[in-house]
Amino acid sequence: MKTDDLLAALAADTRPGPGVAQRLSRALPGAMVVAAVVFALGWGVRQDLVAAMTSPAALKPLVPLALAGLAGTLALTLSRPEARGGRTATALWVFAVVLIAAFGAALAAGGLSGLMTDLFTPSLITCLASIPALALPLLAATLWALSAGAPRRPALTGALGGLAAGSLAASLYALYCDQDTALFVLPAYASAIGIVTLTGTVLGTRTLAW
Amino acid sequence: MRAANRGDAAAYRELLQAITPVLRGVVRARGRMLGPEGCEDVLQEVLLAVHMKRQTWREDAPLRPWLYAIARHKTADAFRARGHRIDLPIEAFSEALPAQDIPDPTQAGDMEKVLARLDPRAADIVRGFGMRGETVAETAARLQMTEGAVRVALHRALKAVARLRERMME
Repeated sequence: MKTDDLLAALAADTRPGPGVAQRLSRALPGAMVVAAVVFALGWGVRQDLVAAMTSPAALKPLVPLALAGLAGTLALTLSRPEARGGRTATALWVFAVVLIAAFGAALAAGGLSGLMTDLFTPSLITCLASIPALALPLLAATLWALSAGAPRRPALTGALGGLAAGSLAASLYALYCDQDTALFVLPAYASAIGIVTLTGTVLGTRTLAW
Repeated sequence: MRAANRGDAAAYRELLQAITPVLRGVVRARGRMLGPEGCEDVLQEVLLAVHMKRQTWREDAPLRPWLYAIARHKTADAFRARGHRIDLPIEAFSEALPAQDIPDPTQAGDMEKVLARLDPRAADIVRGFGMRGETVAETAARLQMTEGAVRVALHRALKAVARLRERMME
C-alpha cells in the first residue's frame, strides 16, 4: 500500500479516540464505588474511627491519598510521549524520602525488637492481602485509561498507575485497620502498595506498549 | 491538528501530508540499512501511531516535540523488531536480476500483509478510502451501509491494523 493511500484512509477516520483523562473520568468513579462496596461488605470501618481520625492516626488514610494523587498525576503526564516528569516527579521523590526518614526515626526510637513486635502480627497478613485485593478494580480502571496514552516508558507508567491504585486502596483500608504504630503502618502499607506497584509494572509493560 | 482532533477531515489530511515528508526524513536518516521499502514500512507505522495516539497531543503544547517523540519511539521499536530479520541488500543481486522498473519509492509491503489478514470487509473499506479515494458517502452506497456505520467500521479497521502490525513485530 502506498503511503499516500494510507493517508487518505487515516484522514477519512474522523472519529477521535478517547483521551487518557477522559477514560479515567469514566472508569475511576465506578471502580471506586466497587472498591468501597467491597470494603463495606468485607471489611467495614473500625469501631473507634472518629477518635482515631482526630489523632495522628488520621495520617494513615491521608498520606496514601496524597501519594495516590501525586502518582496518578505523574502517570497521566507520562502517558504523553514527549512529556518529562518535571516537578511532580521531584515531589514524588521528596515524598518517598520523607516516608523513609519517618520509618528510620521510628526504627531508631523503637529498635529492632520494637519492629518485630509491632510488625509481625496477624494484621500484617490481613494488610498484605487486603490492600492488593481492594486495589484490583482501581488498577484495572487506571491501566485501561492509561492504555489510551502513548507513554515513552510503559513499565514506569504502569508502575505509577499501580502506585496510585495501591495507595488509593491503602487509604481505604486505613479506615478499617486499627494498628496505628509507625513501625507497623509504614513497612506494612509500603509492602502492600509495593505489591500493587509491581503488578502495575508487569501489566504495564504489556498493556501500555504501543 | 487542532481542527483534526475536532473531526475536520480536510484539515487533518493536509496536516498528514505536511508531516509525512518530515517523518520520512527522520526514518530514512535513522534506518539507512532497511532500504527504501523498509523505511516506508516504518514510516507507515509511525503515521498509524500518530493517528491512533493523536488524542495524547495537548492542544496547548507545540506539535513538533510530540510528533518527534512518536516518530522516535516507533522507529526504535521497528528497528529493534527488524534487527533479527535479514534484509539482504538488493545491490548484491543486481547483476543477476534483469533490469526492472524503478519501484515506487512510497510503496511499502507490510501494510499489504496486514490487510490480507484483516477480515475482508474491513480490508475492503481501508482500501476503498486509501487506494480508490472513496468518500464516506460512496463507501456507504457501495456497501449499503449508513454513513455512520462506515465511519465506525473504518475506525475499527484502522485499530485492527494497528494491533495486527504490533503483533507482526513480535
